[in-house]
Amino acid sequence: MASLETDVLVIGGGATGAGVAWDASLRGFDVILVDRADLAEGTSGRFHGLLHSGGRYVVKDPVAAEECVAENVVLRRIVADCIEDTGGLFVVTPDDDPAYGDAFMEGCRKTNLPAEEIGVDAALRMEPRLNPGIKRAFTVPDGSIDVWKTVWSLARGAQQHGARILTYHRVIDLHVEGDAVTGARLRNERTGEELDVNAGFTLNASGAWAAQIVKMAGIEGVGVIPGKGIMIAMNHRLVNTVINRCTLPADGDILVPIRTVSVIGTTDERAADPDDIPPTQEEVDAMLDDGERLVPGFREARALRVWAGVRPLFQDEKAGAAEVDTRDVSRTHAVVDHVARDGIGRLLTMSGGKLTTLRLMAQDLVDAMCRQLGEDRPCTTEEAIPPGNEDGELYSIGSRLRAREKTMQDEQLICECELIGRSKLEETMRRRETTILDDIRRSLRLGMGPCQGGFCIYRATGIEHGLDGIDAATASDSLRDFLQERWKGMWPILYGDQLRQARLDDWIFQGLLDVEHLP
Amino acid sequence: MIVVIGAGLAGLVAAVKLAEGGERVVVLAKGVGATHLSPCTIDVLGYAPDRVARPLDAIADLPADHPYVRVGRDAIVSAAAWWRESMGFVGSPEKNVLLPTAVGALKPSALVPETMAAGAGSDPVCVVGFRALKDFHAALLADNLVRAGIEARSVELDLRPEGRVDANSLAFARGFDDRVFRDAVVRAVSPRDGERVAFPAVLGLDGSAWRDVQERLGRPVFEVPTLPPSVPGMRVAKVLRERLRRAGGRVLLNNVVVGAERAGERVTALRVRVGLREVTYAADWVVLATGGFASGGLELDSRWQPHEVALGLPVTGVPAEQRFVPEYFAEHPMGRAGVVVGRDLRPEGLANVLVVGATLAGAQPWKEKSGDGISLATGHRAAELILGARATTAPAPDAPTESSPAEAR
Repeated sequence: MASLETDVLVIGGGATGAGVAWDASLRGFDVILVDRADLAEGTSGRFHGLLHSGGRYVVKDPVAAEECVAENVVLRRIVADCIEDTGGLFVVTPDDDPAYGDAFMEGCRKTNLPAEEIGVDAALRMEPRLNPGIKRAFTVPDGSIDVWKTVWSLARGAQQHGARILTYHRVIDLHVEGDAVTGARLRNERTGEELDVNAGFTLNASGAWAAQIVKMAGIEGVGVIPGKGIMIAMNHRLVNTVINRCTLPADGDILVPIRTVSVIGTTDERAADPDDIPPTQEEVDAMLDDGERLVPGFREARALRVWAGVRPLFQDEKAGAAEVDTRDVSRTHAVVDHVARDGIGRLLTMSGGKLTTLRLMAQDLVDAMCRQLGEDRPCTTEEAIPPGNEDGELYSIGSRLRAREKTMQDEQLICECELIGRSKLEETMRRRETTILDDIRRSLRLGMGPCQGGFCIYRATGIEHGLDGIDAATASDSLRDFLQERWKGMWPILYGDQLRQARLDDWIFQGLLDVEHLP
Repeated sequence: MIVVIGAGLAGLVAAVKLAEGGERVVVLAKGVGATHLSPCTIDVLGYAPDRVARPLDAIADLPADHPYVRVGRDAIVSAAAWWRESMGFVGSPEKNVLLPTAVGALKPSALVPETMAAGAGSDPVCVVGFRALKDFHAALLADNLVRAGIEARSVELDLRPEGRVDANSLAFARGFDDRVFRDAVVRAVSPRDGERVAFPAVLGLDGSAWRDVQERLGRPVFEVPTLPPSVPGMRVAKVLRERLRRAGGRVLLNNVVVGAERAGERVTALRVRVGLREVTYAADWVVLATGGFASGGLELDSRWQPHEVALGLPVTGVPAEQRFVPEYFAEHPMGRAGVVVGRDLRPEGLANVLVVGATLAGAQPWKEKSGDGISLATGHRAAELILGARATTAPAPDAPTESSPAEAR
């Protein structure tokens, strides 16, 4: 069996794991990052895209709020190209208690969050589609963040410092020698081959799956509660500012404009299994009603897609409270020290947390590792800029179009919805060495627009087949798999124009191409 | 006056047949029909659920509410005969042929344009594609044909209509109508002995380039339909509209039917939105051919209630929950939703409204490969029924139409 040697094995290729790989490799550690699927395919790729100002937490969870206030500023500096400065509003809807606004402002003051109350008229001028019945409004420095860009930027940065990234490699066992973890056995999910990684230290950044991972080292009872939340992407920027309901955290209380869509979220429900979280019709109906409360006419807009993510909420058994409302669990993070807790060394688990604090989480985890190793290697991620963000300019909607306009006459446009040119598609397919079109989607947003791949999937399949060594059987499987993947997020929310679109896509893939009956 | 609502295949077939039968016909449509999306092979029945070799024989086993069962076998035979004679198609609903699709699957079709007919068979194929046409991938088609046991190879030409690197089917069809471009293509293709030559379905706006290319290559040439816009669909729409015009009928686009006035069981007039105005058309008979969920004839709102948008007819087949299942290629619970009609294509309670095409309940057009077949058979049948009824009853004098907008135009 093949084996690899490394200083640090990072398990989990979400935002946390990518942040950890970036942090540790900057500190001079040799790093291997593994994920059972593609980077940011789990929780990180299934959130609403909010870069928190911290306002959501100021009343109930001030520690989490303070962390957000600080990290919001840092992320704008280090991953500028991934962030849009949308700004945010907290609005008191007719169904909410106006007095909460006072508690909110008090919380903002205590956590140094720069919030300001503005008049209802001013808020409606900013966002004309907002419910005209709102009673109060407050501005906050929310933003939206493209998680795939962020994770890939951090991962590429880590690679430039020598890190190796193994996607589609599932951890199937942790190696324990004496009272320490010495690495892991991996299975390549595409070839079935197994592989050993011998690691000086193992960092468990697998989020909602953290308990499953440490169980392989015989560690029981690590209390990660999978908290399921559903989100719906609407095919328009219904608003251009993040809209939060100014109330204690509740379902359907946030609407985030990101890239060409806006995403409403979310729910919070304890999930038994982080891999089994299908959105239900009741959840979809409730979310649409919540949208209607923020933006009247929401139900008449076109819903593109629905999905669920699963938060890695931490509630260790030793802290008691086995049955809690997942919404009441703190959104801050904690490093689980398995020496103190379980007598197992060279293994640490990151628990809890949220995307906005990914850099801080990575820092805390690598700091804890350094303490255990007795190493003094300071963190540099507050200043270091991962690739793609060097110019420090924040992303703005329309930048892809601006870039595209320069090459309009010279190059084929393969995905009209997301403005993806042929050379970019071919280059990405080669660079990522994958035939999985969903991987390409995460890199380029292929198939994420209104037609959900109706036109570009066939084109991308033909182009993939034209690359060296990709045979028709492989390309045809890619086509079928991507159709299934796109369908997964559409069918629970098919109504109105998106149902019409889906039927047109059926017309193309079944009536015209008959993909179902390919050999 | 007979009003046909919708300018897709079903609506145009009904309108042409009625107009050529001597009736006064107007087609009111929101926009051009789904012909522009359709591969334009007339697929009568390809899967039920296994692959069907002889569509007419398989119809007896379809569910009782399937449109084919409603109109009956004879109606399909007579519609197919009418279509074959008048549209220059070949084939028959007796027997399917297998034509390669643009991914290289072999799809069962019954009636096909002569430009596509050589696609059936097992002789070797040379697939010709164009680098500038992103909607057709010759190598993928050829390699999947090989996997299906048909010898095939591909060539990709870097010839560009009007020099464009990114041109769609329509631009290529115009290119093929240009002698210089066509000559360049013919020079660049060297078919081997025994080979058929496949092109994307772009061989001229009216298909005449196909004949020329075939003659000059000296081998059977066939078109393979690809992503919209569908050039073969545009050809069919153009021919049908021209026939309608010659027979005195008209197509009025941007005329959106938003409701009906009724007297008992009869619709007497249609309310039509034209731009910002709303006007009224008197109607003796109405043929509803607005299409299904893809075309906007049917809608599902965000509270999961289905609507037939023009006349507000009841829509059946939409379950309150679980309208779809997670597997894309599975049979979906609302896959057969639509408007239910009797054998005379009339919805219950309406005497002078006939429903045709994709609006009808009971079929899964894309899954079973029956969409254009249903549109042809029901559109044709509706015209026969109306013509029959008009022949046996004294025709009611048309309502005064001097003030109607249709006349004013």
